[in-house]
Amino acid sequence: MPGNNVVQRVRSLVVAFLDTDLVRLRIERDGGHVELRRRASSRPATADSPEPQAQAAAPENVDAIKSDLVGIFRFSRPLPVTGEMVDSDRELAYVEALGIRNPVRSMGAGRLVSVCCDDGQPVEYGQTLFEIQRV
Amino acid sequence: MFKKVLIANRGEIALRINRACRELGVKTVAIFSEPDRESLHVRHADEAFCVGPGPAARSYLSIPNIISTALITNCDAVHPGYGFLAENARFAQICADHGLTFIGPTPEVIGTMGDKATAKRVMREAKIETTPGTDILESVDKARRAAKDLGYPVLLKATAGGGGKGMRVVTGPDELERAFNNAQNEAESSFKDGRLYMEKLIVSPRHIEVQVLGDNFGNIVILGERDCSVQKPSHQKLIEEAPAANLAEKTRKSLYAMALRAAQAVHYTNAGTLEFLVSGDRAYFMEMNTRIQVEHPVTEMVYNIDLVKEQIRIAAGEALGYTQDDLRPRGHAIECRINAEDARNNFAPAAGTLTNVVFPGGPGIRVDTHIYSGGTVPPFYDSMLAKIVAFGETREAAIARMERALRETVIEGVNTTIQQCLEVLATDAFTSGHYAIDFLPGLLRQADAA
Repeated sequence: MPGNNVVQRVRSLVVAFLDTDLVRLRIERDGGHVELRRRASSRPATADSPEPQAQAAAPENVDAIKSDLVGIFRFSRPLPVTGEMVDSDRELAYVEALGIRNPVRSMGAGRLVSVCCDDGQPVEYGQTLFEIQRV
Repeated sequence: MFKKVLIANRGEIALRINRACRELGVKTVAIFSEPDRESLHVRHADEAFCVGPGPAARSYLSIPNIISTALITNCDAVHPGYGFLAENARFAQICADHGLTFIGPTPEVIGTMGDKATAKRVMREAKIETTPGTDILESVDKARRAAKDLGYPVLLKATAGGGGKGMRVVTGPDELERAFNNAQNEAESSFKDGRLYMEKLIVSPRHIEVQVLGDNFGNIVILGERDCSVQKPSHQKLIEEAPAANLAEKTRKSLYAMALRAAQAVHYTNAGTLEFLVSGDRAYFMEMNTRIQVEHPVTEMVYNIDLVKEQIRIAAGEALGYTQDDLRPRGHAIECRINAEDARNNFAPAAGTLTNVVFPGGPGIRVDTHIYSGGTVPPFYDSMLAKIVAFGETREAAIARMERALRETVIEGVNTTIQQCLEVLATDAFTSGHYAIDFLPGLLRQADAA
């Protein structure tokens, strides 16, 4: 059945994805897409996870911008404001670690739908800092 | 005393360190990788920070993220546990550079003794007998020449190694290149240091190690020996006991004297272990582990001392507060490592969800573990699930208690080494205390043949 075939292919994709260090994988084909993302706040999916499709789907095309290191979160100037449009390479904030400013960029244009951290807050690896709806 | 300690490890040893800190009134910060988010060491710590994804190279070995965590949480010390960064002199130095006390020996001593090849050279200079061997071998060709000089069989070992990783027995020249490459790759991925050296293989020795503890005032004590000769074919220990059975008193005294001389030679501080190969009445220094050992509980039980607390106290600048004459061992302790492994399939590691976990209890039983029913065993790390330790007034009593405890233990969801441990305990070789490091591989071969 076609439905089973899709589930099988997504399942295979999840298994292959988990074998890599990739944080995000997006595949577009014939007008549709599938996107797999690692979420630090949940256990990684496994081949026999009950709902691989649910984990694979990115609702409303929203990307989470996550910290890839441990440090102190600081906003960049101008201050990012929820609801504003950001361009593709905007520096929204930085994570200060061991005295080094590590910029956090928008990683593509879109609407800033949520700011998830406070200025001066300690952040961990994988913590969501911003959510951006791609347009 | 420290106010807050970062525990740079995972699993049972992270939990063990957390317990010692709690009892000393010290706050703790746990680090964890994404798949370890639900681990017990995370739940029990005062604070916890994710430092990376599953692969250890990007999490438990990520020095920048670990140091940054310690700094932003205002820790004043770091306990490395065993494995991962525990014997990384650079990490110890970076801790010091950032005003963090590394709970272990100085970076200089780790550099000298943690590097196995250098340690042997230092020991030879201190007139301590070592197994015949080489310094670092830069290439297969040099290894080939060294093996010819030493005579086969030889042992290739990782200079940064431990736990049997990066180690290969080579019985003839045909096996050398493959063994060298495999050991080098394994050492590189386990320790970020693929350098190898070679030793003459001592046939059928016992692996006996001596626990030392030194403070910052020049006081060093010996906390007896452990027999770790029940080893898998990969040289990883499966069962350890203290004291060693049937060890001639003359040999025991000689081991203690060598361990003391070695620790004094490098002005050793904190907890450390000197490993020896014992063959007949000859003992050869093999290597020193500049950290707490997996099997430290057997020493704790016969000496009634908390080695992890001692490590923390020493690092905080306290004196030992007792001398060698104050230390009197009592009884016998045995530890079985319960690993997520298939003993019938070359101890292949297993990962998955633990559907049911029940640990033993009762008199004389200690269980150090981080697992629980419903928890997961990630595929990224060492497969050890628990250490079951049995104490008895005599060795026979300890064996009987261990057998009882293993039969009470239930771990469902992955294969474990419980049955293998029971089989070892039931052998004449083990019950009589006459066994060497080739004992378990031989037992496995017999089982395969049957």
